[in-house]
Amino acid sequence: MKMDRRSFVGLVAAASLSGCARIATSLNENASIHRLLLAPERLNLAILGAGQPLAHEYSPADISSDFRQNGFYPPSSDAYQRWSTDGWRGFSLRVDGMVERPASFDMPSLRRTFVRRSQITRHDCVEGWSVIGKWSGVLVADLLAAVEVKPLAQYVVFHCMDDDGEGNLYYESLNMHQAAHPQAVLAYDLNDRPIPVKNGAPLRLKVPTQLGYKSAKYVRRIEVVAALGGRLGRGGYWEDRDYEWFAGI
Amino acid sequence: MPHVKKPSPRVYRHPLPVRLTHWIAALALGILAMSGMQIFNAHPALYASDVSHFDRPVFKIGADEPLAGNPVGYVQIGSLRVNTTHVLGYGPDGMGGEIGRAFPSWATIPTYQDLADGRRWHIFFAWVLVVCGVIYAYFALRLLPSRADLRELPHTLRTHLVPWRLPREPQLNPLQKVSYVGIIFIVVPIVVASGLALSPSVDAWLPWLPQLFGGRQFARIWHFGGMIALMAFFVVHLVMVALTGLINNLRSMITGWYVVKGRKSV
Repeated sequence: MKMDRRSFVGLVAAASLSGCARIATSLNENASIHRLLLAPERLNLAILGAGQPLAHEYSPADISSDFRQNGFYPPSSDAYQRWSTDGWRGFSLRVDGMVERPASFDMPSLRRTFVRRSQITRHDCVEGWSVIGKWSGVLVADLLAAVEVKPLAQYVVFHCMDDDGEGNLYYESLNMHQAAHPQAVLAYDLNDRPIPVKNGAPLRLKVPTQLGYKSAKYVRRIEVVAALGGRLGRGGYWEDRDYEWFAGI
Repeated sequence: MPHVKKPSPRVYRHPLPVRLTHWIAALALGILAMSGMQIFNAHPALYASDVSHFDRPVFKIGADEPLAGNPVGYVQIGSLRVNTTHVLGYGPDGMGGEIGRAFPSWATIPTYQDLADGRRWHIFFAWVLVVCGVIYAYFALRLLPSRADLRELPHTLRTHLVPWRLPREPQLNPLQKVSYVGIIFIVVPIVVASGLALSPSVDAWLPWLPQLFGGRQFARIWHFGGMIALMAFFVVHLVMVALTGLINNLRSMITGWYVVKGRKSV
Protein backbone atom coordinates (compact mmCIF):
# COMPACT_ATOMS: atom_id res chain seq x y z
CA MET A 1 0.00 0.00 0.00
CA LYS A 2 1.32 3.36 -0.97
CA MET A 3 1.22 5.93 1.75
CA ASP A 4 1.77 9.65 1.37
CA ARG A 5 3.84 11.61 3.83
CA ARG A 6 0.93 13.27 5.49
CA SER A 7 -0.88 10.05 6.38
CA PHE A 8 2.42 8.60 7.61
CA VAL A 9 2.91 11.53 10.00
CA GLY A 10 -0.72 11.19 11.07
CA LEU A 11 -0.24 7.51 11.76
CA VAL A 12 2.91 8.11 13.82
CA ALA A 13 1.10 10.80 15.81
CA ALA A 14 -1.88 8.53 16.44
CA ALA A 15 0.41 5.67 17.46
CA SER A 16 2.30 7.79 19.99
CA LEU A 17 -0.93 9.25 21.37
CA SER A 18 -2.30 5.75 21.60
CA GLY A 19 0.79 4.65 23.55
CA CYS A 20 0.32 7.49 26.06
CA ALA A 21 -3.39 6.73 26.37
CA ARG A 22 -2.65 3.06 27.07
CA ILE A 23 0.02 3.79 29.67
CA ALA A 24 -2.26 6.25 31.45
CA THR A 25 -5.16 3.81 31.32
CA SER A 26 -3.13 1.02 32.90
CA LEU A 27 -1.95 3.43 35.62
CA ASN A 28 -5.60 4.34 36.10
CA GLU A 29 -6.36 0.70 36.96
CA ASN A 30 -3.90 0.84 39.85
CA ALA A 31 -5.87 1.38 43.06
CA SER A 32 -3.37 3.67 44.80
CA ILE A 33 -2.84 5.83 41.71
CA HIS A 34 -6.59 5.98 41.24
CA ARG A 35 -6.89 7.22 44.83
CA LEU A 36 -3.97 9.65 44.47
CA LEU A 37 -5.68 11.30 41.50
CA LEU A 38 -8.48 12.31 43.85
CA ALA A 39 -6.02 14.13 46.17
CA PRO A 40 -6.83 17.66 44.87
CA GLU A 41 -10.45 17.26 45.98
CA ARG A 42 -9.59 18.23 49.59
CA LEU A 43 -7.64 21.25 48.42
CA ASN A 44 -10.46 22.32 46.11
CA LEU A 45 -12.98 21.95 48.93
CA ALA A 46 -10.75 23.85 51.35
CA ILE A 47 -10.36 26.76 48.92
CA LEU A 48 -13.78 26.94 47.29
CA GLY A 49 -15.79 25.75 50.28
CA ALA A 50 -14.28 28.31 52.65
CA GLY A 51 -17.18 30.77 52.46
CA GLN A 52 -20.77 30.95 51.28
CA PRO A 53 -20.61 32.89 47.99
CA LEU A 54 -23.89 33.02 46.11
CA ALA A 55 -24.39 31.57 42.65
CA HIS A 56 -25.38 34.23 40.15
CA GLU A 57 -29.16 34.74 40.00
CA TYR A 58 -30.68 35.39 36.59
CA SER A 59 -33.77 37.25 35.42
CA PRO A 60 -36.99 35.47 34.37
CA ALA A 61 -36.17 36.18 30.71
CA ASP A 62 -33.11 33.93 31.00
CA ILE A 63 -35.07 30.79 31.96
CA SER A 64 -34.44 27.92 29.50
CA SER A 65 -37.50 26.80 27.53
CA ASP A 66 -36.84 23.18 28.44
CA PHE A 67 -35.10 21.99 31.59
CA ARG A 68 -33.25 18.98 30.21
CA GLN A 69 -33.88 15.63 31.85
CA ASN A 70 -30.84 13.54 32.74
CA GLY A 71 -29.97 10.66 35.04
CA PHE A 72 -32.22 7.75 35.96
CA TYR A 73 -35.77 7.11 34.86
CA PRO A 74 -38.43 8.37 37.28
CA PRO A 75 -39.14 6.00 40.20
CA SER A 76 -41.07 2.97 39.07
CA SER A 77 -42.65 1.95 42.38
CA ASP A 78 -46.43 1.62 42.66
CA ALA A 79 -46.46 4.13 45.49
CA TYR A 80 -44.69 6.74 43.35
CA GLN A 81 -47.08 6.12 40.46
CA ARG A 82 -50.01 6.59 42.81
CA TRP A 83 -48.65 9.74 44.43
CA SER A 84 -47.68 11.36 41.15
CA THR A 85 -51.15 10.86 39.68
CA ASP A 86 -52.95 11.89 42.88
CA GLY A 87 -51.41 15.30 43.59
CA TRP A 88 -48.90 13.80 46.09
CA ARG A 89 -51.69 12.98 48.56
CA GLY A 90 -50.27 10.52 51.07
CA PHE A 91 -46.64 11.38 50.25
CA SER A 92 -44.50 12.74 53.01
CA LEU A 93 -40.87 13.70 53.49
CA ARG A 94 -39.15 12.12 56.48
CA VAL A 95 -36.46 14.10 58.31
CA ASP A 96 -34.60 12.07 60.92
CA GLY A 97 -31.21 10.83 62.11
CA MET A 98 -29.23 13.02 64.49
CA VAL A 99 -32.03 15.49 65.17
CA GLU A 100 -33.92 16.35 68.34
CA ARG A 101 -37.40 16.10 66.81
CA PRO A 102 -37.64 13.69 63.84
CA ALA A 103 -40.61 14.65 61.72
CA SER A 104 -42.56 13.96 58.55
CA PHE A 105 -43.86 16.71 56.31
CA ASP A 106 -46.48 16.30 53.62
CA MET A 107 -46.47 18.60 50.61
CA PRO A 108 -49.11 21.05 51.88
CA SER A 109 -47.26 21.47 55.17
CA LEU A 110 -43.94 22.08 53.38
CA ARG A 111 -45.61 24.77 51.31
CA ARG A 112 -47.49 26.27 54.25
CA THR A 113 -45.14 26.00 57.22
CA PHE A 114 -41.92 27.24 55.67
CA VAL A 115 -40.91 30.46 53.96
CA ARG A 116 -40.92 29.98 50.19
CA ARG A 117 -37.48 30.68 48.73
CA SER A 118 -36.95 31.19 45.01
CA GLN A 119 -33.85 31.39 42.86
CA ILE A 120 -33.26 31.60 39.12
CA THR A 121 -29.94 29.84 38.77
CA ARG A 122 -27.87 27.99 36.22
CA HIS A 123 -27.72 24.22 36.40
CA ASP A 124 -24.34 22.88 35.25
CA CYS A 125 -24.27 19.20 34.41
CA VAL A 126 -21.04 17.24 34.96
CA GLU A 127 -21.32 16.31 31.27
CA GLY A 128 -20.72 19.92 30.33
CA TRP A 129 -24.07 21.48 29.41
CA SER A 130 -26.01 24.20 31.27
CA VAL A 131 -29.64 25.28 31.54
CA ILE A 132 -31.38 27.94 33.66
CA GLY A 133 -34.44 27.34 35.79
CA LYS A 134 -36.38 28.96 38.60
CA TRP A 135 -36.50 26.77 41.68
CA SER A 136 -38.75 27.47 44.65
CA GLY A 137 -39.01 25.60 47.90
CA VAL A 138 -37.81 25.29 51.46
CA LEU A 139 -34.35 26.33 52.51
CA VAL A 140 -32.50 23.22 53.71
CA ALA A 141 -31.33 25.32 56.68
CA ASP A 142 -34.95 26.13 57.63
CA LEU A 143 -35.94 22.49 57.45
CA LEU A 144 -33.00 21.45 59.63
CA ALA A 145 -33.76 24.23 62.12
CA ALA A 146 -37.30 22.89 62.47
CA VAL A 147 -36.07 19.44 63.55
CA GLU A 148 -33.05 20.81 65.46
CA VAL A 149 -29.82 19.16 64.48
CA LYS A 150 -27.78 17.56 67.27
CA PRO A 151 -24.35 19.08 67.98
CA LEU A 152 -22.17 16.23 66.66
CA ALA A 153 -23.93 15.96 63.30
CA GLN A 154 -21.60 16.38 60.28
CA TYR A 155 -23.54 15.49 57.13
CA VAL A 156 -27.03 15.72 55.71
CA VAL A 157 -27.93 12.77 53.49
CA PHE A 158 -30.68 12.96 50.88
CA HIS A 159 -32.29 9.59 50.15
CA CYS A 160 -34.14 9.38 46.84
CA MET A 161 -36.80 7.22 45.22
CA ASP A 162 -35.16 6.70 41.81
CA ASP A 163 -32.82 3.79 41.13
CA ASP A 164 -30.37 2.77 38.44
CA GLY A 165 -32.42 -0.20 37.27
CA GLU A 166 -30.26 -2.58 39.31
CA GLY A 167 -31.81 -1.74 42.65
CA ASN A 168 -29.32 0.93 43.72
CA LEU A 169 -31.20 3.97 44.98
CA TYR A 170 -29.89 7.45 44.27
CA TYR A 171 -28.61 9.43 47.22
CA GLU A 172 -26.50 12.48 47.86
CA SER A 173 -25.00 14.36 50.80
CA LEU A 174 -23.91 17.80 51.94
CA ASN A 175 -21.76 18.76 54.89
CA MET A 176 -23.27 21.09 57.50
CA HIS A 177 -21.59 24.13 55.96
CA GLN A 178 -23.03 23.37 52.53
CA ALA A 179 -26.45 22.58 54.00
CA ALA A 180 -26.44 26.04 55.59
CA HIS A 181 -25.86 27.77 52.23
CA PRO A 182 -28.54 30.43 51.59
CA GLN A 183 -29.25 28.92 48.15
CA ALA A 184 -29.41 25.25 49.19
CA VAL A 185 -33.10 24.61 48.65
CA LEU A 186 -35.37 21.62 48.81
CA ALA A 187 -37.49 22.67 45.85
CA TYR A 188 -41.12 21.80 45.13
CA ASP A 189 -41.64 24.17 42.17
CA LEU A 190 -39.78 24.55 38.90
CA ASN A 191 -40.60 27.74 37.01
CA ASP A 192 -43.51 28.44 39.39
CA ARG A 193 -45.24 25.10 38.79
CA PRO A 194 -44.92 21.83 40.68
CA ILE A 195 -41.72 20.11 39.55
CA PRO A 196 -42.46 17.79 36.59
CA VAL A 197 -41.81 14.10 37.14
CA LYS A 198 -38.83 14.15 34.75
CA ASN A 199 -37.11 16.88 36.81
CA GLY A 200 -37.52 15.18 40.19
CA ALA A 201 -41.10 15.55 41.51
CA PRO A 202 -42.22 16.18 44.15
CA LEU A 203 -39.05 17.35 45.93
CA ARG A 204 -35.64 18.04 44.51
CA LEU A 205 -32.54 19.34 46.22
CA LYS A 206 -31.05 22.34 44.41
CA VAL A 207 -27.45 23.32 45.14
CA PRO A 208 -26.48 25.83 42.44
CA THR A 209 -22.84 26.13 43.57
CA GLN A 210 -22.15 22.50 42.65
CA LEU A 211 -22.60 20.32 39.55
CA GLY A 212 -26.00 18.85 38.75
CA TYR A 213 -25.47 15.43 40.29
CA LYS A 214 -25.40 17.04 43.76
CA SER A 215 -28.97 18.29 43.19
CA ALA A 216 -30.69 14.99 43.98
CA LYS A 217 -34.16 14.39 42.54
CA TYR A 218 -37.16 12.53 44.01
CA VAL A 219 -36.06 13.17 47.61
CA ARG A 220 -37.98 10.98 50.10
CA ARG A 221 -35.96 11.19 53.28
CA ILE A 222 -33.39 13.50 54.80
CA GLU A 223 -31.08 11.86 57.29
CA VAL A 224 -28.63 13.76 59.48
CA VAL A 225 -25.54 11.72 60.33
CA ALA A 226 -22.20 12.04 62.12
CA ALA A 227 -20.17 10.46 59.31
CA LEU A 228 -20.35 8.99 55.84
CA GLY A 229 -18.95 5.57 54.99
CA GLY A 230 -20.33 2.09 55.53
CA ARG A 231 -23.95 2.03 54.37
CA LEU A 232 -23.50 5.60 53.10
CA GLY A 233 -20.42 4.86 51.00
CA ARG A 234 -18.64 7.97 49.77
CA GLY A 235 -21.78 10.02 50.25
CA GLY A 236 -23.57 9.66 46.95
CA TYR A 237 -24.54 7.36 44.10
CA TRP A 238 -22.06 8.88 41.65
CA GLU A 239 -19.46 9.37 44.37
CA ASP A 240 -19.56 5.58 44.82
CA ARG A 241 -18.81 5.38 41.09
CA ASP A 242 -15.60 7.43 41.09
CA TYR A 243 -17.00 10.98 40.92
CA GLU A 244 -15.85 13.63 43.41
CA TRP A 245 -17.90 14.13 46.56
CA PHE A 246 -17.20 17.86 46.26
CA ALA A 247 -19.00 18.63 43.02
CA GLY A 248 -17.98 22.29 42.89
CA ILE A 249 -15.62 21.79 39.92
CA MET B 1 38.96 8.99 24.72
CA PRO B 2 41.65 8.28 22.14
CA HIS B 3 42.58 11.89 21.59
CA VAL B 4 42.07 15.18 23.32
CA LYS B 5 39.88 17.50 21.38
CA LYS B 6 39.37 21.13 22.13
CA PRO B 7 35.90 21.20 23.66
CA SER B 8 33.24 23.08 21.72
CA PRO B 9 32.25 26.33 23.35
CA ARG B 10 29.01 25.86 25.20
CA VAL B 11 26.58 28.03 27.06
CA TYR B 12 24.43 27.23 30.05
CA ARG B 13 21.05 27.97 28.55
CA HIS B 14 18.37 26.71 30.96
CA PRO B 15 18.67 26.62 34.77
CA LEU B 16 17.41 23.51 36.57
CA PRO B 17 13.97 24.84 37.65
CA VAL B 18 13.24 25.78 34.03
CA ARG B 19 14.22 22.35 32.71
CA LEU B 20 12.27 20.56 35.42
CA THR B 21 9.10 22.61 35.08
CA HIS B 22 9.33 22.55 31.27
CA TRP B 23 9.10 18.76 31.18
CA ILE B 24 6.53 18.44 33.94
CA ALA B 25 4.35 21.10 32.29
CA ALA B 26 4.72 19.35 28.93
CA LEU B 27 3.60 16.05 30.48
CA ALA B 28 0.73 17.80 32.29
CA LEU B 29 -0.44 19.56 29.12
CA GLY B 30 -0.46 16.26 27.21
CA ILE B 31 -2.48 14.53 29.92
CA LEU B 32 -4.81 17.53 30.22
CA ALA B 33 -5.49 17.49 26.46
CA MET B 34 -6.20 13.75 26.44
CA SER B 35 -8.34 13.69 29.60
CA GLY B 36 -10.01 16.86 28.33
CA MET B 37 -11.06 15.04 25.19
CA GLN B 38 -12.46 12.29 27.42
CA ILE B 39 -14.53 14.91 29.27
CA PHE B 40 -15.59 16.56 26.00
CA ASN B 41 -16.91 13.17 24.83
CA ALA B 42 -19.57 13.29 27.57
CA HIS B 43 -21.30 16.14 25.72
CA PRO B 44 -19.47 16.79 22.45
CA ALA B 45 -21.09 20.10 21.54
CA LEU B 46 -20.20 23.75 22.08
CA TYR B 47 -22.56 26.70 22.39
CA ALA B 48 -21.74 30.39 21.92
CA SER B 49 -23.75 31.56 24.95
CA ASP B 50 -24.00 31.25 28.72
CA VAL B 51 -26.29 28.20 28.57
CA SER B 52 -26.76 25.37 26.08
CA HIS B 53 -29.21 25.87 23.24
CA PHE B 54 -29.24 22.22 22.31
CA ASP B 55 -30.66 22.79 18.85
CA ARG B 56 -27.96 25.25 17.79
CA PRO B 57 -24.46 24.21 18.72
CA VAL B 58 -21.69 26.15 16.97
CA PHE B 59 -19.48 23.08 17.05
CA LYS B 60 -20.37 19.46 17.37
CA ILE B 61 -18.80 16.05 16.90
CA GLY B 62 -21.46 13.42 16.30
CA ALA B 63 -22.51 10.24 14.57
CA ASP B 64 -25.35 9.29 12.27
CA GLU B 65 -26.18 5.65 12.78
CA PRO B 66 -28.89 4.75 10.27
CA LEU B 67 -30.78 1.47 10.61
CA ALA B 68 -29.61 0.49 7.14
CA GLY B 69 -26.15 1.39 5.87
CA ASN B 70 -22.86 2.33 7.49
CA PRO B 71 -22.62 4.71 10.44
CA VAL B 72 -21.10 8.09 9.67
CA GLY B 73 -18.99 10.16 12.06
CA TYR B 74 -18.89 13.89 11.47
CA VAL B 75 -17.57 17.21 12.72
CA GLN B 76 -20.03 20.06 12.41
CA ILE B 77 -18.95 23.70 12.49
CA GLY B 78 -21.96 25.96 12.18
CA SER B 79 -23.89 24.40 9.32
CA LEU B 80 -20.82 22.89 7.67
CA ARG B 81 -20.53 19.14 8.14
CA VAL B 82 -17.33 17.20 7.46
CA ASN B 83 -17.29 13.41 7.28
CA THR B 84 -14.74 12.10 9.81
CA THR B 85 -15.82 8.45 10.10
CA HIS B 86 -13.24 6.13 11.74
CA VAL B 87 -11.54 9.05 13.52
CA LEU B 88 -14.02 11.55 14.98
CA GLY B 89 -17.68 10.98 15.80
CA TYR B 90 -17.61 7.30 14.95
CA GLY B 91 -14.37 5.42 15.51
CA PRO B 92 -12.30 2.99 17.56
CA ASP B 93 -13.77 1.97 20.92
CA GLY B 94 -10.46 0.65 22.26
CA MET B 95 -11.63 -2.95 22.15
CA GLY B 96 -11.14 -3.68 18.48
CA GLY B 97 -14.51 -2.37 17.35
CA GLU B 98 -15.97 0.96 16.43
CA ILE B 99 -18.54 3.00 18.29
CA GLY B 100 -20.19 6.40 18.22
CA ARG B 101 -17.86 8.64 20.29
CA ALA B 102 -16.49 12.10 19.59
CA PHE B 103 -12.76 11.56 20.15
CA PRO B 104 -11.40 8.07 19.46
CA SER B 105 -10.14 5.75 22.20
CA TRP B 106 -6.49 6.26 21.20
CA ALA B 107 -6.70 9.98 22.01
CA THR B 108 -8.41 9.86 25.42
CA ILE B 109 -7.48 9.06 29.03
CA PRO B 110 -8.74 6.53 29.93
CA THR B 111 -9.06 4.88 26.51
CA TYR B 112 -12.63 3.68 27.23
CA GLN B 113 -15.49 6.09 27.92
CA ASP B 114 -15.21 7.10 31.60
CA LEU B 115 -16.10 10.68 32.52
CA ALA B 116 -15.39 10.24 36.25
CA ASP B 117 -11.81 9.04 35.77
CA GLY B 118 -11.19 11.54 32.96
CA ARG B 119 -12.13 14.26 35.45
CA ARG B 120 -9.76 12.83 38.08
CA TRP B 121 -6.81 12.99 35.68
CA HIS B 122 -7.84 16.41 34.42
CA ILE B 123 -8.27 18.10 37.79
CA PHE B 124 -5.10 16.50 39.24
CA PHE B 125 -2.92 17.63 36.35
CA ALA B 126 -4.59 21.03 36.22
CA TRP B 127 -3.03 21.61 39.65
CA VAL B 128 0.31 20.22 38.44
CA LEU B 129 0.20 22.62 35.48
CA VAL B 130 -0.68 25.63 37.60
CA VAL B 131 2.05 25.00 40.20
CA CYS B 132 4.68 24.27 37.53
CA GLY B 133 3.42 27.01 35.29
CA VAL B 134 3.86 29.70 37.93
CA ILE B 135 7.52 28.70 38.47
CA TYR B 136 8.12 28.39 34.73
CA ALA B 137 6.45 31.73 34.00
CA TYR B 138 8.60 33.45 36.65
CA PHE B 139 11.74 32.34 34.80
CA ALA B 140 10.13 33.19 31.47
CA LEU B 141 9.80 36.84 32.48
CA ARG B 142 13.28 37.35 31.02
CA LEU B 143 11.84 36.34 27.63
CA LEU B 144 9.60 39.38 27.48
CA PRO B 145 10.78 40.93 24.21
CA SER B 146 12.53 44.28 24.41
CA ARG B 147 11.81 47.08 21.99
CA ALA B 148 14.98 46.11 20.09
CA ASP B 149 13.66 42.53 19.85
CA LEU B 150 10.42 43.74 18.32
CA ARG B 151 12.30 45.91 15.85
CA GLU B 152 14.34 42.90 14.82
CA LEU B 153 11.29 40.64 14.49
CA PRO B 154 10.65 41.17 10.72
CA HIS B 155 14.30 40.38 10.01
CA THR B 156 14.13 37.19 12.12
CA LEU B 157 10.97 36.17 10.30
CA ARG B 158 12.85 36.47 7.00
CA THR B 159 15.65 34.22 8.27
CA HIS B 160 13.00 31.55 8.97
CA LEU B 161 11.68 31.33 5.42
CA VAL B 162 13.94 28.46 4.36
CA PRO B 163 13.29 25.45 6.66
CA TRP B 164 16.72 23.82 6.10
CA ARG B 165 18.66 27.05 6.68
CA LEU B 166 17.25 28.10 10.01
CA PRO B 167 19.54 30.09 12.29
CA ARG B 168 21.08 28.20 15.22
CA GLU B 169 22.00 30.53 18.02
CA PRO B 170 22.51 29.92 21.72
CA GLN B 171 20.37 32.88 22.68
CA LEU B 172 16.67 32.92 21.89
CA ASN B 173 15.77 35.05 18.88
CA PRO B 174 12.90 37.58 18.87
CA LEU B 175 10.56 35.19 17.06
CA GLN B 176 11.09 32.53 19.75
CA LYS B 177 10.62 35.08 22.51
CA VAL B 178 7.35 36.35 21.05
CA SER B 179 5.93 32.84 20.53
CA TYR B 180 6.99 31.51 23.94
CA VAL B 181 5.72 34.61 25.71
CA GLY B 182 2.44 34.33 23.79
CA ILE B 183 1.98 30.73 24.90
CA ILE B 184 3.14 31.19 28.50
CA PHE B 185 1.49 34.54 29.28
CA ILE B 186 -1.54 34.55 26.98
CA VAL B 187 -2.69 31.14 25.73
CA VAL B 188 -2.09 29.03 28.85
CA PRO B 189 -3.62 31.64 31.20
CA ILE B 190 -6.68 31.81 28.92
CA VAL B 191 -7.00 28.02 28.98
CA VAL B 192 -6.64 27.91 32.79
CA ALA B 193 -9.04 30.81 33.40
CA SER B 194 -11.69 29.50 30.99
CA GLY B 195 -11.37 26.08 32.64
CA LEU B 196 -11.95 27.64 36.05
CA ALA B 197 -15.00 29.47 34.63
CA LEU B 198 -16.61 26.04 34.08
CA SER B 199 -16.68 25.39 37.82
CA PRO B 200 -19.97 26.42 39.45
CA SER B 201 -18.16 27.05 42.75
CA VAL B 202 -15.51 29.24 41.15
CA ASP B 203 -18.32 31.12 39.37
CA ALA B 204 -19.99 31.80 42.72
CA TRP B 205 -16.74 33.32 44.00
CA LEU B 206 -15.88 35.17 40.77
CA PRO B 207 -19.14 35.91 38.91
CA TRP B 208 -17.26 38.11 36.41
CA LEU B 209 -15.06 35.24 35.26
CA PRO B 210 -17.58 33.37 33.06
CA GLN B 211 -18.90 36.74 31.86
CA LEU B 212 -15.39 37.63 30.70
CA PHE B 213 -15.58 34.69 28.29
CA GLY B 214 -19.15 35.34 27.14
CA GLY B 215 -20.82 32.95 29.59
CA ARG B 216 -20.12 29.44 30.86
CA GLN B 217 -20.80 27.59 27.61
CA PHE B 218 -18.77 30.15 25.69
CA ALA B 219 -15.93 29.55 28.16
CA ARG B 220 -15.93 25.93 26.93
CA ILE B 221 -15.23 27.28 23.44
CA TRP B 222 -12.27 29.29 24.78
CA HIS B 223 -11.07 26.24 26.73
CA PHE B 224 -11.37 23.97 23.70
CA GLY B 225 -9.95 26.55 21.28
CA GLY B 226 -7.03 27.16 23.62
CA MET B 227 -6.29 23.44 23.60
CA ILE B 228 -6.28 23.46 19.79
CA ALA B 229 -3.90 26.46 19.83
CA LEU B 230 -1.59 24.64 22.26
CA MET B 231 -1.60 21.56 20.05
CA ALA B 232 -0.72 23.68 17.03
CA PHE B 233 2.12 25.27 19.03
CA PHE B 234 3.31 21.80 20.10
CA VAL B 235 3.54 20.61 16.48
CA VAL B 236 5.42 23.71 15.30
CA HIS B 237 7.65 23.58 18.40
CA LEU B 238 8.62 19.95 17.69
CA VAL B 239 9.35 20.71 14.04
CA MET B 240 11.52 23.70 14.94
CA VAL B 241 13.39 21.76 17.62
CA ALA B 242 14.08 19.01 15.09
CA LEU B 243 15.15 21.39 12.30
CA THR B 244 17.55 23.47 14.42
CA GLY B 245 19.64 20.66 15.92
CA LEU B 246 17.50 18.05 17.64
CA ILE B 247 20.25 16.62 19.90
CA ASN B 248 21.68 19.98 20.89
CA ASN B 249 18.25 21.41 21.63
CA LEU B 250 17.18 18.38 23.64
CA ARG B 251 20.47 18.36 25.55
CA SER B 252 20.06 22.00 26.47
CA MET B 253 16.60 21.31 27.91
CA ILE B 254 17.88 18.21 29.77
CA THR B 255 21.37 19.18 30.99
CA GLY B 256 21.10 22.92 30.52
CA TRP B 257 24.13 23.12 28.19
CA TYR B 258 23.83 24.27 24.59
CA VAL B 259 26.84 23.74 22.34
CA VAL B 260 27.61 26.69 20.12
CA LYS B 261 28.26 25.63 16.51
CA GLY B 262 26.06 22.66 17.28
CA ARG B 263 26.02 21.61 13.62
CA LYS B 264 29.64 20.49 13.61
CA SER B 265 30.04 18.95 17.02
CA VAL B 266 26.83 16.90 17.06
